[in-house]
Order: sequence, then structure tokens, then C-alpha cells
Amino acid sequence: MTDSKKWYTQSGPDGDVVLSTRIRLARNFSDIPFVGRMTDAQKAQVEERVRDAVLNGNSTLAGSFHYIDMEHCPHVQAVSLAERHLISPEFSQGAAGTALLLLEDESVSIMVNEEDHLRVQVMRPGLDLNGAYDTADKIDTLLDEKLNFAFHDRLGYLTQCPTNLGTGMRASVMLHLPALQELGSMNQLANTVAKLGLTIRGTYGEGSDAKGAVYQLSNQVTLGISEQAAIENLRSIAQQVIAQERNARKQLCADVRVQDRIWRSYGILTTARTLTVKEFTGLISNVRLGAATGILDIPMDVISRLLIDAMPGTMISRSEQDLDAAKADLERARLVRDALGPNRPQETQF
Amino acid sequence: MLCEKCHKNEATTHIKRVINGQASEVYLCADCAAKAGFGSIHSPFSLGLNDLLGSVFGEAAHPKAIPAGGDEVRCSGCGSTLQDIAATGRAGCAKCYDTFYDQLLPSLQRLHGKTRHAGKLPASAGVEAKQRRQLDELRKALSLAVEKQEFENAAALRDEIKALEQGLNQ
Ligand SMILES: [Zn+2]
Ligand SMILES: [Zn+2]
Repeated sequence: MTDSKKWYTQSGPDGDVVLSTRIRLARNFSDIPFVGRMTDAQKAQVEERVRDAVLNGNSTLAGSFHYIDMEHCPHVQAVSLAERHLISPEFSQGAAGTALLLLEDESVSIMVNEEDHLRVQVMRPGLDLNGAYDTADKIDTLLDEKLNFAFHDRLGYLTQCPTNLGTGMRASVMLHLPALQELGSMNQLANTVAKLGLTIRGTYGEGSDAKGAVYQLSNQVTLGISEQAAIENLRSIAQQVIAQERNARKQLCADVRVQDRIWRSYGILTTARTLTVKEFTGLISNVRLGAATGILDIPMDVISRLLIDAMPGTMISRSEQDLDAAKADLERARLVRDALGPNRPQETQF
Repeated sequence: MLCEKCHKNEATTHIKRVINGQASEVYLCADCAAKAGFGSIHSPFSLGLNDLLGSVFGEAAHPKAIPAGGDEVRCSGCGSTLQDIAATGRAGCAKCYDTFYDQLLPSLQRLHGKTRHAGKLPASAGVEAKQRRQLDELRKALSLAVEKQEFENAAALRDEIKALEQGLNQ
């Protein structure tokens, strides 16, 4: 499948603010201890059951999934999987007995022997919680017919960690919030969503102070609430955050100093000969803000793709040559210039 | 600001959450955040949670709650004791939740605010769970019928609810 068909190369609903939506379901077997107390033989048993259910079934699942043995997966490829949000960073360590089943367009991944026996994860570009949940729900139902997941009449789906009991569902929306961040609204926002049973957290890229202004908004409570109610709660609060960010952007982008910063960032990204991840993460955040507000004429999907393609694991695993850190910075600059470069965006007046 | 865990590196990740109305927050460096399962944007909330919040099962782990010595109860599925679960913040297997149901319930209440599943029911769900769900739906339909003043319909629903409730109480 060509790269352009992968979910992260597209921009989705409310793509000016929302990078992606993720639904993750935690599922386990009742007759095998949880991952923390499993023997290697039991891990193999889980892997076999899941692999058999997904790959050998005559269900709609069969045929479209790839199987990846994480234990023997080259490290840079595993890191790249994490950069594409298909697995957790911990999972990229390739612990014994871990495996991944990956749908061809990479929108569905099933982690085996991660924190739970199975973690079914569905990704969508932009804000699409219902779409992502529908897919996750269908896959879960198909798998359950064969695998009979651990379920307790009062506690719901049983998970290793009690924070996931009940629906076992974690729904998340990844948001680009440069304007709210710049206006210093993030702490207040975190307080507000916490009162509503959600959590928002920022991670600032790879380096310790690289700033990407990317935040993840997720549901917290999984027991005593239906999937639909949890999703509706998350969706309505996400919409409010999106509206706030758009207002803040309007205010911010009217300031010529902010416009100047966006253009300068664009200037550096289209001319630099070497770019560290940290520098790239900060600059692309400004450029994304410019593209989303019409200051720069760059399609959002070009930026979505760059946000993955320029990450170290993905770059190194795709490169034909051996890349050390210095060479990777050269290669990153070339990649970014090609994507955003001179004949790419047409200037718009404002 | 320095990382609150290692007190060495600059804190870059701010983790904030509310558990049953109790807000807590922590500032971590990238390393400690990754170790705690908050490594990158889409990492799942794996269980560094416990280190961050103090034990989820703090109450259950309290010495008084655990009978001393040989009469310690072990899960028949995995051999875990309540103390094992409290120490790691993780259950050992699915059966642990049955074995230690009563002891874990207060922690679950604190964690989620509720203790009864309200989401998807798999085909394997027990009759009782299915009937409870049906009861919830009938009650919703009843209040809707009353609201719309569809009294005949409401009376029928009320009978149906009564019958189900009796079945469940037996
Ligand atoms: Zn630290
Ligand atoms: Zn057990």
C-alpha cells in the first residue's frame, strides 16, 4: 500500500486544531494470568490465540492484518511504530512475547501482551470519536466471538489495571493548541477538564524542552459509564476547547509579531540545511498555526505527514543509508525543504 | 522547575487528574514521564499511575486490612494476595477481582466514583447483567412515557419493570 493511504497522511474533521482521534480497548483472557504475572509459555499462548483469531478467521478481519513480532523487530522500526502512534513507547522496547497486529492502512493496531493481553486501538485523522469507536466496537465483537474476553457482570471488562475496569476504553483526542498555550490558558483548561472527568496533558516533543503545543485530551472514568456517554462527554468538551483555541488564534494572529514569527519559522524550515528534532518541532508548530489560519498556504495534510516523516525512528528506518544523529539532521532538513519548499506554498495576502 | 520524581532534570510534562473529586498534579521530566507511562502523546495510561498517586489500593494495603501470617487469602487463579495487588496496583488475573471483590470495592469507588459497569455487554455476559441492563432501559422508557403522558404505555412498562425486579431479587 502506498504511503498516501495511511491514516496519518490525511487531515480530518476540525483538522485545523485536531491532529487525530484514538480509541483504545483493553481486553484480557480469564484463564491466563495478566501480563505482569505471566510465564513466557503463557505469553506465547496468548499470542497464538490472538494471531489465530485475527489472521486465520474467516471473518472480515482476516487477510488485511500484518503480524509483527515485537521481540525481534529492529529497534528503529519499533520506534517508528511509536512515532506513528501505533504502539506505546514502552511497547517499542520489544519485551519478550510481545506482538503487534497492524491493519494495512495502519488505522487499527492490536498490541498483544502490552499492559493487557490485548489492546485494540483505532486511529482516525481529525476529530472522529464515533467513527473510531464504531470500528473498535466491531473488531471487539468479532474478536470476542472467538476469544471470549474476561468479563465480570458488575465490573465489566476485567483489566490488569483497575483504572481501566468497566468499558476498558480510553478515548483520546490529540489537539494542537499553540494559541491557548501562548495565552497561558493551559493550566486553567487542565483544571476545568479535570472537574469534568477528563484529563489533558502536554508532552513537548522528543527533547526535554522542544515545544510542539500538542496536547492529549482523554476520558478518565471507565466504570459506571457507557462508551457512548464517555465519548459524548469527551466530544462536547473537545468542541469547546477547539472553539476556544480558534478564538485565541484569531486574537493572536492579528498581531504582526505573531505573523512575523510564523513567516520566520516558515523561512527557516524551507531554507535550513540542518534541523534537529527539537528545532523542527518548535518551528513546525508555528507553521501549522500559520497554515490553519490561512496566513500560510500549505495543505494541512502536508504538515500531518511531516510530523511523522521527520521523526528520528521513521526517518532512519526508511533511509537507505546509515544515519547517525548529524546525518539525520541533514536528511531532516532536506525532507522538510522538499515538503514545504519554494514551489510548494503560494503566498496569500492578508 | 525540577522534576518531582528524580529532582534532577527539568520538568516538561505536567500530569493532572482528578480521582473521585480529588485533584492531583505532578510535574515530571521526560525520562520519568516515560517511565511512568506518559512518554509520548499517544501512549496509553499504563501503570505508573500508582507511583504518581500513591497506591490506588492504599486503603486495602493498610496493615490493618490484611490478616497477618498464614491465613492470608490467595487468588486461586494466579496465587496473588491482596498485598501483592496493593503493592503493584495491578490485579494478577481476572479471578483476583472475584477473590478480593469486597476489599477492592472501596478503591474502585474512589477511582471511578461508581462500581457497576454500564457499558457494552458481550455475548458471554450473565443473565443478571443483561436483565439489569434491560431494567435500566425500561426505566428510561417509563420516565419518557410519563413525560409524554402515555399512561397506558407507562402502566405496561411499570408491570414489566416490576416483574423483572422480582426476578432479580430472588
Ligand atoms: Zn525525573
Ligand atoms: Zn488472580
